[in-house]
Amino acid sequence: MKRMGSLESVLQNDGVIFLTYGGLLTQALLVALTESLEKGVEGDAVNKKTAINIFTVFIEVAQNIMNYSSQKQNDNAVPFDTRGLIVVGKGLDDKYYVFSQNVMAIADQDKLETKLTEVIGCDRETVKRLYREARRDGRHSHSRGGGIGMYEIAKKCEQIEFEFDQSDKTIEGNTLFRFKATIA
Amino acid sequence: MESLIIEETKYTPKISMDAASGVIEMSGKSYPENTFDFYAPVMKWLEDYFTTTNKIVINMEIIYFNSSSSKLFFDFFDLCDEKRDTHDIEINWIYDADNENAEEAGEDFIEDFEFLRINLVVKK
Repeated sequence: MKRMGSLESVLQNDGVIFLTYGGLLTQALLVALTESLEKGVEGDAVNKKTAINIFTVFIEVAQNIMNYSSQKQNDNAVPFDTRGLIVVGKGLDDKYYVFSQNVMAIADQDKLETKLTEVIGCDRETVKRLYREARRDGRHSHSRGGGIGMYEIAKKCEQIEFEFDQSDKTIEGNTLFRFKATIA
Repeated sequence: MESLIIEETKYTPKISMDAASGVIEMSGKSYPENTFDFYAPVMKWLEDYFTTTNKIVINMEIIYFNSSSSKLFFDFFDLCDEKRDTHDIEINWIYDADNENAEEAGEDFIEDFEFLRINLVVKK
């Protein structure tokens, strides 16, 4: 897989940035950021469908990062810097994207990688079908989102890229996860 | 039975469950952090209400929602589906004409619950 590169290169290569946030994400912050994103995107004269795709992908990505950090607290594991980072922008190709970066446990990498590889290999109709099957099968289960979040993202974007990066030795035992969803 | 009213926030819909009329309304956005905790009173109210009445109208106008809310709405309709033989249940899924995402979400629910009466209602 091609390297997605550093945040710096994402920012430099691309056209317009609507929002950048780094640090611990909370629901209150997410709500404020979404509100600001709504203003920014709507000011960009985008159609409603694309606008809503951007908001929902952003919320899904942000809540994924939040779940990683709350998992850490619940498990009483050694606390790590979650290094949550999220950027929403518009590239030079005029396509909107949501980029994120966060630290996660290596133990969770396989599961996430399998899910992402599955989703990337599917056409849109298949993703929609998998989404509905997962929503139905998880009936009465009260797990967070019933595992359909990644299908939700895939339904709403054109391209998903990701990488795991363990080159940073300060996050021993963990991995840096970078993710980019490109919306039409 | 008491009515249940939950005021709208920036990330949760206004919810009104009227015990006298049997009309349930939800309108706004839905992306709470702990979706199942947030909607627990709503699910409980509906379950209880089914024991006291046999006619319910549900008007839902959700602008956008996160995946756990999507799951929750599925469970909510599933609860209705379990009562469809004994209760008169009508669901109106309301959306703005230019909100294709909401329209598609409504169509999916119609396909998933083919025996429930779910109407797509376009707001002019």
